[in-house]
Amino acid sequence: MKGLMKNNFFAVYANAKAFFIFMCILGIFVVAVISQPLLIGYALLSMVGFSVNAITGIKREYVSKWGKYKLTLPVQRTAIIKSYFISQLLWLLVGTLYAGIVISLSWALHGCPFDKSIDIVSIFALGICVSNFTSALFFPLFYLGGEEKSDVFLIISLLCGIGAAMGIISVLNFYLPPGITTILVGAAVLLLCSLLVFALSYPLTVGIYRKRDY
Amino acid sequence: MDHILELQQICKTFPKSNFVLDKLSFSLPYGAILGFVGENGAGKTTTIGCILNTVSKDSGVVKLFGKEMQDADTDIREKIGVVYDGDNFPGFLTAKQLSQVMEGIYKQWDNGLFQKYLEDFHLPVRQKIKNYSRGMTMKLAIAAALSHHPQLLILDEATSGLDPIMRDEILDVFLEFVQDESHSILLSSHITSDLEKIADYITFIHNGKLIMTVSKNDLVYHYAVMRCKKSQFLALDPADIIAYRKRDYQIDVLVAHGKEAQRKYKDTVVDHVSIDEIMLLLVKGERV
Repeated sequence: MKGLMKNNFFAVYANAKAFFIFMCILGIFVVAVISQPLLIGYALLSMVGFSVNAITGIKREYVSKWGKYKLTLPVQRTAIIKSYFISQLLWLLVGTLYAGIVISLSWALHGCPFDKSIDIVSIFALGICVSNFTSALFFPLFYLGGEEKSDVFLIISLLCGIGAAMGIISVLNFYLPPGITTILVGAAVLLLCSLLVFALSYPLTVGIYRKRDY
Repeated sequence: MDHILELQQICKTFPKSNFVLDKLSFSLPYGAILGFVGENGAGKTTTIGCILNTVSKDSGVVKLFGKEMQDADTDIREKIGVVYDGDNFPGFLTAKQLSQVMEGIYKQWDNGLFQKYLEDFHLPVRQKIKNYSRGMTMKLAIAAALSHHPQLLILDEATSGLDPIMRDEILDVFLEFVQDESHSILLSSHITSDLEKIADYITFIHNGKLIMTVSKNDLVYHYAVMRCKKSQFLALDPADIIAYRKRDYQIDVLVAHGKEAQRKYKDTVVDHVSIDEIMLLLVKGERV
């Protein structure tokens, strides 16, 4: 598992480095100006962006025979998938930390950047939800449809992730009255739903991957 | 005789391409090199896939170290080194990073040995693999396959892309590897001269079917090709003919016992036969 995690890190690192620098520069700009939409956009971009970046790293592995070669190594297919899912969560954590740092700095310099401070919870819940849904959909699609279609699967997964999050928010807004409780319940539902789908995606991906020939 | 690798009646069908691997059986003894020969699309890579479980077989048994290997049998895969044709490793890695990855995967990864191979093969440690030439990527793959002290090497066109000098050096590495009687190599290759140099046994496959497995000594000392005229060909005992091929002015006949054939059919010319010529006769020729 340690070797697989290192491999996943190297696969993402080159792209992540460029994204890292871009997000740093953008972060400085976002902290410097007082703009709520910009801050929300930055937080979501950071959380979803690092996850998407991690997904593209997997695609790069299959340009070579490495995807096939890995099956000849002393690791189980389950371990390979597990390493991807763990990596995905770690990169989401990186994105969340990035968003957290920039929002904290903005708050420290300019005061609370949102209408209500509780809104921050919703933003983080939304970012994590989109990211988890995207990953949860991408992995089974990737192994089911083949690596050559990975770009289109990534777009589909991302759109479905955004759609699923928006769908949950719409349903909650329809049934629950506006208020702090609704915001907290909404955030909890978003997090729980996305984590559940992410967790269910793992055995599904393992099942598909076990049947694949390389 | 103990076998490190045994294939019994392996079948695999690819419905989309109509390709069938048909009841393939052969075995590789300990301390031996088996050359695996066949034309493009004959089923060599599929067979290797069935051995390594990268391809699921429809039926049959593959035994590695006397045991059928399942996905969970990582201890068996610890003892196997693999080299595929082409890019084995992702281009974003450097050799140093590859070593770090392998160190976290193989219990017996020997970083010192890997570094030694990198030096011997003149491979830059910090250069990304995507900037390596084809020959360099093959050398890196061979270095990685040997650096966890495997007992069995499975090489799919591992010497392709290497210049003759480097190929010769690599073949020496393989020969050194099998000096240990518990080591073996399965070497699939189109470069039959390599097999003539190092293989102990040659297995020929064609269209997914096993044609024959023969020891190289038999091949060199006994197998021969008879150059016959049509009348001479018609006088041959069919039991002596393995395969024949009609040419413009003669018929080439592959026989298993050249000296006997020379004694039996005095008027015909009997020549030594190369692996290339055997493959041509078996693939393009006809059987009696």
